[in-house]
Amino acid sequence: MFLELPFQNCLQFLTGSYSDGFNMKKGGLQERLAELFLSHFEETDAAQQFQYAVRVIGSNFAPTVERDEFLVAEKIKKELVRQRREADAALFSELYRKLSSQGVLKNKWSILYLLLSLSEDPRKQSNKVSSYAALFAQALPRDAHSTPYYYARPQTLPLNYQDRSTQSAQSSGSMGSSGISSISMYALNGPTPTPQSLLPGQSYQAPGVGDCLRQQLGSRLAWTLTASQPSLQNSTSKGLPNTVSRNVPRSRREGDTSGSVEITEANLVRDILYVFQGIDGKNIKMCNSENCYKVDGKVSLSKSLRDTTSRLAELGWLHNKIRKYTDQRSLDRAFGLVGQSFCAALHQELKEYYRLLSVLHSQLQLEDDQGVNLGLESSLTLRRLLVWTYDPKIRLKTLAALVDHCQGRKGGELASAVHAYTKTGDPYMRSLVQHILGLVSHPVLNFLYRWIYDGELEDTYHEFFVASDPTVKTDRLWHDKYTLRKSMIPSFITMEQSKKVLLIGKSINFLHQVCHDQTPSTKMIAVAKSAETPKDAADLFTDLENAFQEKIDAAYFETSKYLLDVLNKKYNLLEHMQAMRRYLLLGQGDFIRHLMDLLKPELARPATTLYQHNLTGILETAVRATNAQFDNPEILKRLDVRLLEVSPGDTGWDVFSLDYHVDGPIATVFTRECMSHYLRVFNFLWRAKRMEYILTDIWKGHMCNAKLLKSMPELSGVLHQCHVLASEMVHFIHQMQYYITFEILECSWDELWNKVQQAQDLDHIIAAHEVFLDTIITRCLLDSDSRVLLNQLRAVFDQIIELQNAQDTMYRAALEELQLRLQFEEKKKQRELEGEWGVTAVEEEEENKRIKEFQESIPKMCSQLRILTHFYQGIVQQFLVLLTTSSDESLRFLSFRLDFNEHYKAREPRLRISLGTRGRRSSHM
Amino acid sequence: MASNAANLNAVRETMDVLFEISRILNTGLDMETLSICVRLCEQGINPEALSSVIKELRKATEALKLFRIQLWLRPLWA
Repeated sequence: MFLELPFQNCLQFLTGSYSDGFNMKKGGLQERLAELFLSHFEETDAAQQFQYAVRVIGSNFAPTVERDEFLVAEKIKKELVRQRREADAALFSELYRKLSSQGVLKNKWSILYLLLSLSEDPRKQSNKVSSYAALFAQALPRDAHSTPYYYARPQTLPLNYQDRSTQSAQSSGSMGSSGISSISMYALNGPTPTPQSLLPGQSYQAPGVGDCLRQQLGSRLAWTLTASQPSLQNSTSKGLPNTVSRNVPRSRREGDTSGSVEITEANLVRDILYVFQGIDGKNIKMCNSENCYKVDGKVSLSKSLRDTTSRLAELGWLHNKIRKYTDQRSLDRAFGLVGQSFCAALHQELKEYYRLLSVLHSQLQLEDDQGVNLGLESSLTLRRLLVWTYDPKIRLKTLAALVDHCQGRKGGELASAVHAYTKTGDPYMRSLVQHILGLVSHPVLNFLYRWIYDGELEDTYHEFFVASDPTVKTDRLWHDKYTLRKSMIPSFITMEQSKKVLLIGKSINFLHQVCHDQTPSTKMIAVAKSAETPKDAADLFTDLENAFQEKIDAAYFETSKYLLDVLNKKYNLLEHMQAMRRYLLLGQGDFIRHLMDLLKPELARPATTLYQHNLTGILETAVRATNAQFDNPEILKRLDVRLLEVSPGDTGWDVFSLDYHVDGPIATVFTRECMSHYLRVFNFLWRAKRMEYILTDIWKGHMCNAKLLKSMPELSGVLHQCHVLASEMVHFIHQMQYYITFEILECSWDELWNKVQQAQDLDHIIAAHEVFLDTIITRCLLDSDSRVLLNQLRAVFDQIIELQNAQDTMYRAALEELQLRLQFEEKKKQRELEGEWGVTAVEEEEENKRIKEFQESIPKMCSQLRILTHFYQGIVQQFLVLLTTSSDESLRFLSFRLDFNEHYKAREPRLRISLGTRGRRSSHM
Repeated sequence: MASNAANLNAVRETMDVLFEISRILNTGLDMETLSICVRLCEQGINPEALSSVIKELRKATEALKLFRIQLWLRPLWA
């Protein structure tokens, strides 16, 4: 009699009314029974349970065992004795006697039999552990992991197992067997869906716990978790003898799994679990020569087992590698923060791995405890392990590859190495490595943010790409103290960004130390500091281009602007630059002229007789007398005289120099080298100026004396020659001055000024300034390439001085002669007035002799001048030749100006060579 | 009435005895369940069937309990 009571009808009997007959009563009671057990279930579940219960009971109406009360009692006693509970057995006897004496129960056999079948051996381990283990096994595929990597396992296997399971259901129809339910169908949302073709003839499992409870009862019978085995797909044999109750057809793997092998699969599994942790098992040992785990050669194993074992052992090998790395690194004290975070990340991953291993171990443990009796489906087989450890293996492989790649690196290098590994197409690997990268780069980014916001660098292990040299003093802070450590630049930060970063931190430190400006960076930079968690570091990578760049740019902009402001307002950088121009580069014309006027008598003396304080006094006089007095006193304070080293034979002109003192932040721009450059240029300019001065004197002399010497016609030739030569020289010097002033100084200065006005940071200013000085030096012929030219020019200058000297002697002689002649005339007149002979014969003779001498000396003077002229012209021609072949365009144009009427060209064949298409005259003719 | 009281007494005693036996045998049945079972048995149910039903129901509850528990367990790596 099979009853199918609709659920609603059953509810009517909740109150236990027995009015509707035998079966109905049972139904009601059963419903109540089910209710008791199923308090957790929802209604639908309860209904299903109930239907199931009813069906079972309905289908097994008649008991299979004889209804013998006494027999059952004896059985119970025997059972108790078997459990070594004699006292309890005695107690039971007593109770039974009492029961028999009471006549209440009619069907004592029934209840006793029921109790017997429900009884449990207290010594037997409860089922709970196994179910927990199975539960863990169940849970593994489903949940998210603590590392951000989420491996999306297939949540449901194809659930079309109903057809197969019903077969077994029918075969397990007999519920009469004692013991635990023998029909256990294992359900699983398995770790990976093994293709069904691999396991033909298997009985597959129904899906997982929650699912199973929702399934129609008619289609299957098994309860997943109550099966005290982990629910795995395969129910292959393990070599253990199988109990009778197993109805599931066993699969034979490759044929030779039982009997003849010396080492059973169980042992191998045990060993493998140890190998997973890197510990040698009994049979599987680490073979150092081949660097792998191998099964002992002595053991006879089927090839398939051996292969599977090797494949599984790889996991242990990978684990060892990673472990070795982390252990080694933890001992290394100098490993640094980045390395430590890398090891921490690896450690975290290993921890997860260990968890898996512990679950496997507990599984193994469980089997050991439960022993053979249960005859349950054995759990851990090599094949199961293979399937289970597939994903862990991939993970470990990635980590091991990372470890290999990162050997021996630290700091930013390590971050670069990890970053290189994110460039893979496999999304699984990529997310794993990105996670690690986030952790690893966190210290680097920390360093970076601290550096650009506070200017602080606390980098004991030299991991950051900005290096600070502690031996450098503050005066060289800007140039030398902070450098880029190129090897430590992570590959996700470009060179340009890292340069900017260096600059920002340098500026902050410069402000703090050199400018003594302690403004906190928050005032300078309105940007809020980023929160410094690893999550932010990881986030950074999702938007590395923009966000990071923006941060750096903002910090750069603000800091540099502030620095320039401070330099300009507080330290008057630009004003000092202008002052340099005015004084050292002879920009303040009136001052220079006056100074030269005042210094002329002093400097004509030999250099050894000069005293600095004298010259300083003269300098101050000059300052006060000219427009220079209206300058900023700060600037005038720094102006000074410097006497260069004295070589023998030097006059004052050779050792005199102006000087400008710089200190503090200004010295960063005007370094010592810069100042020496300035002094060299000053020297050059000063000499040129002096030539101009000399020629002016010569001209003055001409003008003054021409009238005087009109009475000496024999001198006119000489004088004329002198004039001519002087004019030539004047022209030359004029052109030179023009060239110097306009082509060199003004142009370069203009460029410098523009650049400085537009400069965005101190580096720009320094660079522009250096370019300026370089240009000037090159154009002033002071660099090493133009040495020849410079020497030529010096020769020209020397000639001018020669002329001056010659002219001086000549004038002196002429004037003396003139004086004497005038005296003679005077005397003559006077004598005539007195009534005497104007002149005696002797005197006249003397006079004539003297005149004659004088006149004879004139040709000498003439020839001297002629030589001078010739010499001078030769030098100038040489100079012109050099000019026309120089690489600098402006010098070539100078040659045109110097030879505007081709006066020299006529004399110098080399100059006559026409200009080629490129505008250069070859010098090889 | 007296017979009823006597009946009740007897019933109660019987139940106690049975409960004791059930305890000795470690069946894990509580009083209420036991009483229901007794009633069912008195009505002629097949004890084998009933016992298997009870076992299955137990396992189902366990399963469900554990299922609930597992939701709270920390995720495991596999």
